[in-house]
Amino acid sequence: MGYSASPLGHGVGLRTQHYPRVWEGTARVDWFEAISENFMIRGGRPLAALEKARAVAPLVLHGVSGSLGSTDPLNEEYLRELRLLIRRFEPAWVSDHLCWGSNGGHYAHDLLPLPYTEEALVHVAARIQAVQERLGRQILIENVSTYLTFSHSTMTEWEFVTAVAERSDCGILLDVNNIYVSATNHGFPPEVYLKSLPADRIGQIHIAGHSNFGTHLLDTHVGPVPAPVWDLYRLAVRLFGKVSTLIEWDEEVPEFEVVVAEADRARAIETEVLGERCAESA
Amino acid sequence: MLSLRELQSRFFQAIAHVPGTYTGEGYDPALLHVVQAQGQLGAPERIDIYAHMYYLRLRNTLQEDFPSVAAILGDERFSTLVRAYLPLHPSTHPSLRYLGRQFPAFLVTRSEVAVHPFLLDLARLEWARLEVFDAPDAEPLRLSDLQGIAPDEWPDLRFRLIPASELVTCAWNIHEIWKAVEEKDPTGDIACPQEVTLRVWRNGFTVYHAAMNAPERLALEAVRAGQSFAAVCETLVSLVSAEEAAATVGSLLLRWIDDGLLAAMSATA
Repeated sequence: MGYSASPLGHGVGLRTQHYPRVWEGTARVDWFEAISENFMIRGGRPLAALEKARAVAPLVLHGVSGSLGSTDPLNEEYLRELRLLIRRFEPAWVSDHLCWGSNGGHYAHDLLPLPYTEEALVHVAARIQAVQERLGRQILIENVSTYLTFSHSTMTEWEFVTAVAERSDCGILLDVNNIYVSATNHGFPPEVYLKSLPADRIGQIHIAGHSNFGTHLLDTHVGPVPAPVWDLYRLAVRLFGKVSTLIEWDEEVPEFEVVVAEADRARAIETEVLGERCAESA
Repeated sequence: MLSLRELQSRFFQAIAHVPGTYTGEGYDPALLHVVQAQGQLGAPERIDIYAHMYYLRLRNTLQEDFPSVAAILGDERFSTLVRAYLPLHPSTHPSLRYLGRQFPAFLVTRSEVAVHPFLLDLARLEWARLEVFDAPDAEPLRLSDLQGIAPDEWPDLRFRLIPASELVTCAWNIHEIWKAVEEKDPTGDIACPQEVTLRVWRNGFTVYHAAMNAPERLALEAVRAGQSFAAVCETLVSLVSAEEAAATVGSLLLRWIDDGLLAAMSATA
Protein backbone atom coordinates (compact mmCIF):
# COMPACT_ATOMS: atom_id res chain seq x y z
CA MET A 1 0.00 0.00 0.00
CA GLY A 2 1.04 3.60 -0.43
CA TYR A 3 0.97 5.90 -3.39
CA SER A 4 3.34 5.92 -6.32
CA ALA A 5 3.51 8.10 -9.41
CA SER A 6 6.43 8.93 -11.69
CA PRO A 7 7.76 12.41 -10.85
CA LEU A 8 6.77 14.95 -13.49
CA GLY A 9 9.32 17.59 -12.54
CA HIS A 10 8.49 21.20 -11.68
CA GLY A 11 5.26 22.59 -13.07
CA VAL A 12 2.89 25.54 -12.76
CA GLY A 13 -0.85 25.93 -12.29
CA LEU A 14 -2.68 26.63 -15.55
CA ARG A 15 -4.26 30.11 -15.27
CA THR A 16 -6.45 32.06 -17.70
CA GLN A 17 -3.89 34.87 -17.89
CA HIS A 18 -1.53 32.44 -19.64
CA TYR A 19 -4.03 30.95 -22.11
CA PRO A 20 -2.66 33.11 -24.97
CA ARG A 21 0.81 31.64 -24.36
CA VAL A 22 -0.61 28.12 -24.23
CA TRP A 23 -2.43 28.93 -27.44
CA GLU A 24 0.74 30.10 -29.21
CA GLY A 25 2.56 26.98 -28.00
CA THR A 26 5.16 29.08 -26.13
CA ALA A 27 4.12 28.11 -22.58
CA ARG A 28 6.95 25.65 -21.92
CA VAL A 29 6.98 23.93 -18.57
CA ASP A 30 7.44 20.39 -17.15
CA TRP A 31 3.72 19.96 -16.39
CA PHE A 32 0.44 21.75 -15.72
CA GLU A 33 -2.12 21.47 -12.97
CA ALA A 34 -5.65 22.60 -13.85
CA ILE A 35 -8.52 23.37 -11.45
CA SER A 36 -11.12 20.68 -12.22
CA GLU A 37 -14.23 22.83 -11.57
CA ASN A 38 -13.14 25.51 -14.08
CA PHE A 39 -13.54 22.97 -16.87
CA MET A 40 -16.93 21.54 -15.92
CA ILE A 41 -18.39 23.47 -18.85
CA ARG A 42 -19.54 22.56 -22.35
CA GLY A 43 -17.17 24.38 -24.70
CA GLY A 44 -15.33 27.56 -25.57
CA ARG A 45 -11.88 28.89 -24.81
CA PRO A 46 -11.12 27.23 -21.42
CA LEU A 47 -11.60 23.67 -22.71
CA ALA A 48 -9.72 24.47 -25.91
CA ALA A 49 -6.83 25.89 -23.87
CA LEU A 50 -6.80 22.77 -21.69
CA GLU A 51 -6.61 20.60 -24.83
CA LYS A 52 -3.62 22.64 -26.00
CA ALA A 53 -1.90 22.47 -22.62
CA ARG A 54 -2.49 18.72 -22.48
CA ALA A 55 -0.86 18.34 -25.90
CA VAL A 56 2.42 19.97 -24.83
CA ALA A 57 2.89 18.79 -21.22
CA PRO A 58 1.54 16.26 -18.71
CA LEU A 59 -1.56 17.42 -16.88
CA VAL A 60 -3.08 16.77 -13.47
CA LEU A 61 -6.55 17.78 -12.26
CA HIS A 62 -6.90 19.53 -8.92
CA GLY A 63 -10.34 19.91 -7.35
CA VAL A 64 -11.40 22.69 -5.00
CA SER A 65 -15.05 21.76 -4.40
CA GLY A 66 -15.00 18.01 -3.89
CA SER A 67 -15.90 18.81 -0.28
CA LEU A 68 -14.39 15.51 0.89
CA GLY A 69 -15.00 16.23 4.58
CA SER A 70 -18.59 17.43 4.26
CA THR A 71 -21.43 15.63 6.03
CA ASP A 72 -23.62 16.28 2.96
CA PRO A 73 -24.23 13.29 0.69
CA LEU A 74 -21.56 12.93 -2.01
CA ASN A 75 -22.38 15.10 -5.01
CA GLU A 76 -22.81 12.35 -7.61
CA GLU A 77 -23.35 14.84 -10.45
CA TYR A 78 -20.03 16.47 -9.60
CA LEU A 79 -18.28 13.10 -9.63
CA ARG A 80 -19.89 12.29 -12.97
CA GLU A 81 -18.55 15.58 -14.39
CA LEU A 82 -15.14 14.79 -12.94
CA ARG A 83 -15.16 11.35 -14.55
CA LEU A 84 -15.95 12.96 -17.91
CA LEU A 85 -13.01 15.33 -17.51
CA ILE A 86 -10.73 12.47 -16.53
CA ARG A 87 -11.79 10.45 -19.56
CA ARG A 88 -11.24 13.38 -21.90
CA PHE A 89 -7.98 14.79 -20.53
CA GLU A 90 -6.32 11.69 -19.03
CA PRO A 91 -4.64 13.46 -16.11
CA ALA A 92 -1.58 11.83 -14.54
CA TRP A 93 -3.51 12.00 -11.27
CA VAL A 94 -6.42 13.74 -9.56
CA SER A 95 -6.36 15.61 -6.25
CA ASP A 96 -8.58 17.57 -3.88
CA HIS A 97 -8.39 19.02 -0.37
CA LEU A 98 -8.65 17.53 3.10
CA CYS A 99 -11.43 19.86 4.21
CA TRP A 100 -15.10 20.55 3.61
CA GLY A 101 -16.78 23.33 1.62
CA SER A 102 -20.48 22.58 1.38
CA ASN A 103 -23.40 22.20 3.75
CA GLY A 104 -27.05 21.55 3.06
CA GLY A 105 -26.30 21.60 -0.67
CA HIS A 106 -24.78 25.09 -0.47
CA TYR A 107 -21.17 25.74 -1.46
CA ALA A 108 -18.84 28.17 0.33
CA HIS A 109 -16.16 27.91 -2.39
CA ASP A 110 -13.64 27.87 0.40
CA LEU A 111 -11.51 25.24 2.13
CA LEU A 112 -13.12 24.98 5.57
CA PRO A 113 -11.37 23.34 8.52
CA LEU A 114 -12.18 19.96 10.03
CA PRO A 115 -11.81 19.09 13.70
CA TYR A 116 -9.10 16.47 14.15
CA THR A 117 -11.28 13.89 15.88
CA GLU A 118 -11.89 10.17 15.48
CA GLU A 119 -15.38 10.99 14.19
CA ALA A 120 -14.03 13.27 11.45
CA LEU A 121 -11.29 10.78 10.61
CA VAL A 122 -13.74 7.89 10.13
CA HIS A 123 -16.09 10.11 8.12
CA VAL A 124 -13.60 11.68 5.74
CA ALA A 125 -11.66 8.44 5.17
CA ALA A 126 -14.88 6.68 4.15
CA ARG A 127 -15.77 9.56 1.81
CA ILE A 128 -12.34 9.46 0.15
CA GLN A 129 -12.72 5.70 -0.29
CA ALA A 130 -16.13 6.23 -1.89
CA VAL A 131 -14.72 8.89 -4.23
CA GLN A 132 -11.82 6.62 -5.18
CA GLU A 133 -14.31 3.85 -5.95
CA ARG A 134 -16.44 6.17 -8.12
CA LEU A 135 -13.35 7.38 -10.01
CA GLY A 136 -11.72 3.96 -10.17
CA ARG A 137 -8.38 5.36 -9.01
CA GLN A 138 -6.48 6.64 -5.99
CA ILE A 139 -6.64 10.37 -5.39
CA LEU A 140 -4.29 12.73 -3.57
CA ILE A 141 -5.50 14.86 -0.67
CA GLU A 142 -4.00 18.24 0.12
CA ASN A 143 -3.47 19.72 3.58
CA VAL A 144 -5.12 23.17 3.74
CA SER A 145 -4.22 26.46 5.42
CA THR A 146 -6.35 27.05 8.51
CA TYR A 147 -7.20 30.13 10.53
CA LEU A 148 -8.78 28.41 13.51
CA THR A 149 -8.52 25.18 15.43
CA PHE A 150 -11.19 23.28 17.34
CA SER A 151 -10.89 22.69 21.06
CA HIS A 152 -12.31 19.17 20.79
CA SER A 153 -9.57 17.98 18.38
CA THR A 154 -7.87 14.92 19.83
CA MET A 155 -4.89 14.73 17.48
CA THR A 156 -2.49 17.03 15.68
CA GLU A 157 -3.07 18.00 12.07
CA TRP A 158 -0.19 15.84 10.88
CA GLU A 159 -1.51 12.83 12.79
CA PHE A 160 -4.91 13.46 11.20
CA VAL A 161 -3.54 13.82 7.64
CA THR A 162 -1.48 10.64 8.03
CA ALA A 163 -4.34 8.64 9.53
CA VAL A 164 -6.80 9.74 6.82
CA ALA A 165 -4.34 8.89 4.03
CA GLU A 166 -3.55 5.48 5.51
CA ARG A 167 -7.13 4.57 6.30
CA SER A 168 -8.41 5.54 2.85
CA ASP A 169 -5.22 4.42 1.07
CA CYS A 170 -4.85 7.67 -0.84
CA GLY A 171 -1.85 9.82 -1.70
CA ILE A 172 -0.87 13.13 -0.11
CA LEU A 173 -0.48 16.40 -1.96
CA LEU A 174 1.84 18.15 0.42
CA ASP A 175 1.28 21.91 0.38
CA VAL A 176 4.42 23.30 1.97
CA ASN A 177 3.06 26.85 2.01
CA ASN A 178 -0.10 25.70 3.80
CA ILE A 179 1.99 23.99 6.46
CA TYR A 180 3.94 27.21 6.97
CA VAL A 181 0.77 29.33 7.11
CA SER A 182 -0.98 27.01 9.58
CA ALA A 183 2.18 26.57 11.68
CA THR A 184 2.48 30.37 12.01
CA ASN A 185 -1.23 30.83 12.69
CA HIS A 186 -1.38 28.12 15.35
CA GLY A 187 2.16 28.11 16.69
CA PHE A 188 3.39 24.61 15.89
CA PRO A 189 6.81 23.69 14.45
CA PRO A 190 6.40 23.01 10.70
CA GLU A 191 9.46 20.74 10.66
CA VAL A 192 7.77 18.33 13.07
CA TYR A 193 4.76 18.21 10.75
CA LEU A 194 6.91 17.39 7.71
CA LYS A 195 9.02 14.79 9.50
CA SER A 196 6.00 12.88 10.73
CA LEU A 197 4.35 12.39 7.31
CA PRO A 198 4.47 8.97 5.58
CA ALA A 199 7.06 9.36 2.78
CA ASP A 200 5.51 6.57 0.73
CA ARG A 201 2.30 8.56 0.27
CA ILE A 202 3.66 11.94 -0.85
CA GLY A 203 2.75 12.18 -4.53
CA GLN A 204 2.96 15.91 -5.16
CA ILE A 205 4.15 19.14 -3.54
CA HIS A 206 2.59 22.61 -3.81
CA ILE A 207 4.52 25.78 -3.13
CA ALA A 208 3.15 29.32 -3.23
CA GLY A 209 3.19 32.75 -1.66
CA HIS A 210 0.95 34.02 1.14
CA SER A 211 0.01 37.37 2.71
CA ASN A 212 0.80 38.61 6.20
CA PHE A 213 -2.14 40.35 7.88
CA GLY A 214 -0.27 41.00 11.10
CA THR A 215 -2.54 38.86 13.25
CA HIS A 216 -2.37 35.91 10.85
CA LEU A 217 -1.04 34.68 7.53
CA LEU A 218 -3.52 34.18 4.70
CA ASP A 219 -3.03 31.63 1.91
CA THR A 220 -3.46 34.03 -1.02
CA HIS A 221 -1.08 32.48 -3.58
CA VAL A 222 0.19 35.96 -4.33
CA GLY A 223 3.77 36.96 -5.08
CA PRO A 224 6.97 34.93 -5.19
CA VAL A 225 7.52 32.04 -2.79
CA PRO A 226 8.80 33.52 0.52
CA ALA A 227 12.15 32.42 1.98
CA PRO A 228 10.77 30.34 4.89
CA VAL A 229 8.60 28.37 2.45
CA TRP A 230 11.68 27.64 0.32
CA ASP A 231 13.44 26.44 3.50
CA LEU A 232 10.59 24.06 4.23
CA TYR A 233 10.62 22.87 0.61
CA ARG A 234 14.32 22.12 1.01
CA LEU A 235 13.49 19.99 4.05
CA ALA A 236 10.66 18.26 2.15
CA VAL A 237 13.05 17.30 -0.67
CA ARG A 238 15.55 16.00 1.90
CA LEU A 239 12.80 13.88 3.50
CA PHE A 240 10.81 12.74 0.45
CA GLY A 241 13.28 12.90 -2.47
CA LYS A 242 12.13 13.65 -6.00
CA VAL A 243 8.46 14.63 -5.85
CA SER A 244 6.45 16.39 -8.59
CA THR A 245 6.39 20.02 -7.51
CA LEU A 246 4.01 22.77 -8.58
CA ILE A 247 3.99 26.56 -8.22
CA GLU A 248 0.60 28.14 -7.47
CA TRP A 249 0.20 31.84 -8.27
CA ASP A 250 -3.42 33.08 -8.28
CA GLU A 251 -3.52 36.78 -7.42
CA GLU A 252 -1.78 39.50 -9.46
CA VAL A 253 -0.66 36.73 -11.81
CA PRO A 254 2.55 37.83 -13.57
CA GLU A 255 4.02 36.84 -16.95
CA PHE A 256 4.30 33.11 -17.56
CA GLU A 257 8.12 33.23 -17.34
CA VAL A 258 7.99 34.72 -13.84
CA VAL A 259 5.96 31.76 -12.57
CA VAL A 260 8.14 29.29 -14.47
CA ALA A 261 11.22 30.93 -12.90
CA GLU A 262 9.84 29.87 -9.50
CA ALA A 263 9.47 26.30 -10.79
CA ASP A 264 13.08 26.50 -12.05
CA ARG A 265 14.17 27.63 -8.61
CA ALA A 266 12.42 24.62 -7.05
CA ARG A 267 14.23 22.35 -9.53
CA ALA A 268 17.58 23.92 -8.60
CA ILE A 269 16.89 23.34 -4.90
CA GLU A 270 15.91 19.74 -5.57
CA THR A 271 19.10 19.15 -7.59
CA GLU A 272 21.21 20.74 -4.89
CA VAL A 273 19.61 18.82 -2.00
CA LEU A 274 19.63 15.47 -3.78
CA GLY A 275 23.26 16.11 -4.84
CA GLU A 276 24.20 16.70 -1.21
CA ARG A 277 22.33 13.56 -0.20
CA CYS A 278 24.23 11.47 -2.80
CA ALA A 279 27.52 12.95 -1.63
CA GLU A 280 26.64 12.10 1.99
CA SER A 281 25.82 8.49 1.20
CA ALA A 282 28.87 8.00 -1.07
CA MET B 1 -19.63 18.63 22.15
CA LEU B 2 -20.94 19.20 18.65
CA SER B 3 -21.18 16.32 16.21
CA LEU B 4 -19.37 16.87 12.91
CA ARG B 5 -22.73 17.39 11.22
CA GLU B 6 -23.84 20.01 13.76
CA LEU B 7 -20.46 21.72 13.66
CA GLN B 8 -20.55 22.10 9.87
CA SER B 9 -24.12 23.30 9.85
CA ARG B 10 -23.43 25.96 12.50
CA PHE B 11 -20.12 26.96 10.92
CA PHE B 12 -21.69 27.40 7.48
CA GLN B 13 -24.57 29.36 8.97
CA ALA B 14 -22.08 31.60 10.79
CA ILE B 15 -20.07 32.53 7.70
CA ALA B 16 -22.95 32.72 5.20
CA HIS B 17 -25.89 34.12 7.16
CA VAL B 18 -25.30 37.86 6.82
CA PRO B 19 -22.43 38.00 4.38
CA GLY B 20 -20.23 41.06 4.44
CA THR B 21 -21.10 42.18 7.95
CA TYR B 22 -18.73 40.82 10.57
CA THR B 23 -20.35 41.36 13.90
CA GLY B 24 -17.70 39.40 15.75
CA GLU B 25 -20.16 38.82 18.56
CA GLY B 26 -23.32 37.45 17.03
CA TYR B 27 -21.98 33.99 16.40
CA ASP B 28 -23.60 30.83 17.70
CA PRO B 29 -22.37 30.27 21.31
CA ALA B 30 -22.04 26.51 20.73
CA LEU B 31 -19.74 27.21 17.78
CA LEU B 32 -17.73 29.84 19.68
CA HIS B 33 -17.31 27.29 22.47
CA VAL B 34 -15.37 24.85 20.24
CA VAL B 35 -13.23 27.43 18.38
CA GLN B 36 -9.97 28.12 20.17
CA ALA B 37 -8.76 31.63 20.87
CA GLN B 38 -5.07 31.89 19.99
CA GLY B 39 -2.61 34.77 20.09
CA GLN B 40 -4.22 38.11 19.28
CA LEU B 41 -7.35 36.56 17.80
CA GLY B 42 -10.33 35.32 19.79
CA ALA B 43 -12.82 32.77 18.51
CA PRO B 44 -15.14 35.38 16.88
CA GLU B 45 -12.26 37.05 15.02
CA ARG B 46 -11.14 33.65 13.73
CA ILE B 47 -14.61 32.87 12.40
CA ASP B 48 -14.64 36.39 10.92
CA ILE B 49 -11.68 35.45 8.71
CA TYR B 50 -13.76 32.70 7.10
CA ALA B 51 -16.90 34.87 6.92
CA HIS B 52 -14.91 37.60 5.21
CA MET B 53 -13.39 35.20 2.67
CA TYR B 54 -16.81 33.69 1.94
CA TYR B 55 -18.28 37.08 1.17
CA LEU B 56 -15.27 38.42 -0.73
CA ARG B 57 -14.91 35.45 -3.06
CA LEU B 58 -18.60 35.38 -3.97
CA ARG B 59 -18.81 39.14 -4.30
CA ASN B 60 -15.80 39.17 -6.65
CA THR B 61 -17.36 36.43 -8.73
CA LEU B 62 -20.59 38.40 -9.17
CA GLN B 63 -18.58 41.51 -9.98
CA GLU B 64 -16.67 39.62 -12.69
CA ASP B 65 -19.90 38.16 -14.08
CA PHE B 66 -21.84 41.46 -14.05
CA PRO B 67 -19.10 44.06 -14.59
CA SER B 68 -21.34 46.74 -16.14
CA VAL B 69 -24.04 46.45 -13.47
CA ALA B 70 -21.30 46.69 -10.83
CA ALA B 71 -19.69 49.70 -12.55
CA ILE B 72 -22.97 51.62 -12.80
CA LEU B 73 -23.93 50.99 -9.17
CA GLY B 74 -20.48 51.60 -7.72
CA ASP B 75 -18.83 49.53 -4.97
CA GLU B 76 -21.12 50.37 -2.10
CA ARG B 77 -24.47 49.84 -3.79
CA PHE B 78 -23.25 46.73 -5.59
CA SER B 79 -22.08 45.30 -2.26
CA THR B 80 -25.49 45.99 -0.74
CA LEU B 81 -27.07 44.03 -3.59
CA VAL B 82 -24.64 41.13 -3.17
CA ARG B 83 -25.29 40.97 0.57
CA ALA B 84 -29.01 40.71 -0.13
CA TYR B 85 -28.54 38.20 -2.98
CA LEU B 86 -26.28 35.64 -1.31
CA PRO B 87 -28.60 34.54 1.54
CA LEU B 88 -31.49 34.18 -0.94
CA HIS B 89 -29.47 32.47 -3.66
CA PRO B 90 -26.42 30.78 -2.15
CA SER B 91 -24.19 28.80 -4.48
CA THR B 92 -25.64 25.34 -5.12
CA HIS B 93 -23.03 24.19 -7.64
CA PRO B 94 -19.43 23.13 -7.02
CA SER B 95 -18.34 25.66 -9.66
CA LEU B 96 -18.61 29.43 -9.09
CA ARG B 97 -19.67 29.69 -12.72
CA TYR B 98 -23.35 29.34 -11.78
CA LEU B 99 -23.49 31.65 -8.74
CA GLY B 100 -25.07 34.50 -10.70
CA ARG B 101 -27.76 32.46 -12.43
CA GLN B 102 -30.59 34.02 -10.39
CA PHE B 103 -29.08 37.51 -10.26
CA PRO B 104 -31.08 39.10 -13.12
CA ALA B 105 -34.37 37.73 -11.74
CA PHE B 106 -33.40 38.86 -8.23
CA LEU B 107 -32.86 42.42 -9.51
CA VAL B 108 -36.56 42.70 -10.36
CA THR B 109 -37.31 42.88 -6.64
CA ARG B 110 -34.76 45.60 -5.87
CA SER B 111 -35.13 49.34 -5.39
CA GLU B 112 -31.88 49.93 -7.34
CA VAL B 113 -33.89 48.98 -10.44
CA ALA B 114 -36.38 51.76 -9.72
CA VAL B 115 -33.49 54.25 -9.92
CA HIS B 116 -31.84 52.60 -12.95
CA PRO B 117 -34.67 50.67 -14.64
CA PHE B 118 -32.33 49.41 -17.39
CA LEU B 119 -30.18 47.43 -14.90
CA LEU B 120 -32.34 44.36 -15.23
CA ASP B 121 -31.85 44.15 -19.01
CA LEU B 122 -28.16 44.92 -18.62
CA ALA B 123 -27.78 42.03 -16.16
CA ARG B 124 -29.64 39.73 -18.57
CA LEU B 125 -27.24 40.70 -21.37
CA GLU B 126 -24.19 40.10 -19.16
CA TRP B 127 -25.49 36.69 -18.11
CA ALA B 128 -26.26 35.78 -21.74
CA ARG B 129 -22.69 36.72 -22.69
CA LEU B 130 -21.41 34.39 -19.98
CA GLU B 131 -23.68 31.56 -21.11
CA VAL B 132 -22.44 31.97 -24.66
CA PHE B 133 -18.77 32.12 -23.57
CA ASP B 134 -18.63 28.45 -22.54
CA ALA B 135 -21.58 26.98 -24.47
CA PRO B 136 -20.87 23.87 -26.60
CA ASP B 137 -18.60 24.26 -29.62
CA ALA B 138 -20.04 23.76 -33.11
CA GLU B 139 -18.70 23.80 -36.63
CA PRO B 140 -19.94 27.05 -38.26
CA LEU B 141 -21.71 27.09 -41.61
CA ARG B 142 -19.46 28.32 -44.46
CA LEU B 143 -20.57 30.16 -47.53
CA SER B 144 -19.08 27.36 -49.63
CA ASP B 145 -21.47 24.90 -47.95
CA LEU B 146 -24.37 26.62 -49.75
CA GLN B 147 -22.86 26.47 -53.23
CA GLY B 148 -23.84 22.87 -53.93
CA ILE B 149 -27.47 23.37 -53.00
CA ALA B 150 -29.85 23.12 -55.98
CA PRO B 151 -32.39 26.01 -56.39
CA ASP B 152 -35.35 23.69 -55.85
CA GLU B 153 -33.93 22.58 -52.50
CA TRP B 154 -33.86 26.12 -51.09
CA PRO B 155 -37.51 26.50 -49.98
CA ASP B 156 -37.19 23.52 -47.62
CA LEU B 157 -33.74 24.38 -46.26
CA ARG B 158 -33.58 24.73 -42.49
CA PHE B 159 -30.72 26.63 -40.93
CA ARG B 160 -29.63 26.20 -37.33
CA LEU B 161 -28.04 28.64 -34.92
CA ILE B 162 -24.83 27.54 -33.19
CA PRO B 163 -25.40 26.47 -29.54
CA ALA B 164 -23.32 29.47 -28.40
CA SER B 165 -26.06 31.96 -29.28
CA GLU B 166 -28.88 33.66 -27.39
CA LEU B 167 -31.51 36.29 -28.05
CA VAL B 168 -32.10 38.94 -25.37
CA THR B 169 -35.10 41.21 -25.73
CA CYS B 170 -34.69 44.48 -23.84
CA ALA B 171 -36.90 47.43 -23.02
CA TRP B 172 -33.90 49.78 -23.08
CA ASN B 173 -31.03 50.64 -25.45
CA ILE B 174 -28.84 48.15 -23.60
CA HIS B 175 -26.29 47.74 -26.41
CA GLU B 176 -25.51 51.47 -26.19
CA ILE B 177 -25.40 51.50 -22.39
CA TRP B 178 -23.12 48.43 -22.37
CA LYS B 179 -20.76 50.09 -24.86
CA ALA B 180 -20.69 53.33 -22.86
CA VAL B 181 -19.76 51.45 -19.66
CA GLU B 182 -17.16 49.42 -21.58
CA GLU B 183 -15.63 52.67 -22.83
CA LYS B 184 -15.96 54.19 -19.35
CA ASP B 185 -18.32 56.91 -20.57
CA PRO B 186 -20.90 58.44 -18.25
CA THR B 187 -24.14 56.53 -18.72
CA GLY B 188 -26.70 58.81 -17.12
CA ASP B 189 -27.89 60.57 -20.24
CA ILE B 190 -27.79 57.88 -22.87
CA ALA B 191 -30.27 55.40 -21.35
CA CYS B 192 -33.60 55.59 -23.12
CA PRO B 193 -36.58 53.25 -23.35
CA GLN B 194 -36.41 51.33 -26.63
CA GLU B 195 -37.59 47.82 -27.35
CA VAL B 196 -34.68 46.02 -28.94
CA THR B 197 -33.68 42.39 -29.39
CA LEU B 198 -29.97 41.63 -29.19
CA ARG B 199 -28.36 38.57 -30.67
CA VAL B 200 -25.51 37.33 -28.48
CA TRP B 201 -23.11 34.80 -29.93
CA ARG B 202 -19.56 33.46 -29.91
CA ASN B 203 -17.32 33.47 -32.96
CA GLY B 204 -14.18 31.50 -32.23
CA PHE B 205 -13.57 32.35 -28.58
CA THR B 206 -14.86 35.91 -28.72
CA VAL B 207 -18.35 36.83 -27.50
CA TYR B 208 -20.29 39.47 -29.44
CA HIS B 209 -23.72 41.01 -29.31
CA ALA B 210 -25.59 43.14 -31.82
CA ALA B 211 -28.94 44.94 -31.94
CA MET B 212 -31.29 43.74 -34.66
CA ASN B 213 -33.82 45.67 -36.72
CA ALA B 214 -37.37 44.32 -37.11
CA PRO B 215 -36.79 42.14 -40.26
CA GLU B 216 -33.63 40.58 -38.79
CA ARG B 217 -35.35 39.86 -35.48
CA LEU B 218 -38.35 38.20 -37.18
CA ALA B 219 -36.15 36.17 -39.53
CA LEU B 220 -33.76 35.02 -36.80
CA GLU B 221 -36.60 34.04 -34.48
CA ALA B 222 -38.10 32.02 -37.32
CA VAL B 223 -34.77 30.29 -38.02
CA ARG B 224 -34.41 29.58 -34.34
CA ALA B 225 -37.89 28.06 -34.28
CA GLY B 226 -36.73 25.60 -36.94
CA GLN B 227 -38.70 27.06 -39.86
CA SER B 228 -37.79 26.43 -43.51
CA PHE B 229 -36.21 29.09 -45.72
CA ALA B 230 -39.58 29.63 -47.43
CA ALA B 231 -41.36 30.03 -44.09
CA VAL B 232 -38.67 32.43 -42.84
CA CYS B 233 -39.24 34.56 -45.95
CA GLU B 234 -42.98 34.50 -45.33
CA THR B 235 -42.57 35.92 -41.83
CA LEU B 236 -41.24 39.10 -43.45
CA VAL B 237 -44.13 39.80 -45.80
CA SER B 238 -45.79 42.02 -43.23
CA LEU B 239 -42.71 44.28 -43.48
CA VAL B 240 -41.53 43.99 -47.08
CA SER B 241 -42.85 42.74 -50.42
CA ALA B 242 -42.62 39.03 -51.30
CA GLU B 243 -39.74 39.62 -53.76
CA GLU B 244 -37.88 41.75 -51.27
CA ALA B 245 -38.38 39.14 -48.52
CA ALA B 246 -36.23 36.50 -50.24
CA ALA B 247 -33.52 39.06 -50.98
CA THR B 248 -33.61 40.34 -47.39
CA VAL B 249 -33.34 36.85 -45.92
CA GLY B 250 -30.55 36.10 -48.40
CA SER B 251 -28.52 39.09 -47.28
CA LEU B 252 -29.24 38.28 -43.60
CA LEU B 253 -27.95 34.74 -44.17
CA LEU B 254 -24.73 36.15 -45.59
CA ARG B 255 -24.32 38.39 -42.55
CA TRP B 256 -25.03 35.55 -40.11
CA ILE B 257 -22.59 33.24 -41.90
CA ASP B 258 -19.96 35.98 -41.81
CA ASP B 259 -20.56 36.37 -38.06
CA GLY B 260 -20.33 32.61 -37.45
CA LEU B 261 -23.88 32.55 -36.08
CA LEU B 262 -25.13 29.59 -38.13
CA ALA B 263 -24.11 25.98 -37.56
CA ALA B 264 -22.87 23.67 -40.31
CA MET B 265 -25.73 21.62 -41.72
CA SER B 266 -25.93 18.08 -40.51
CA ALA B 267 -27.00 15.26 -42.85
CA THR B 268 -30.53 15.44 -41.44
CA ALA B 269 -30.92 19.21 -41.82
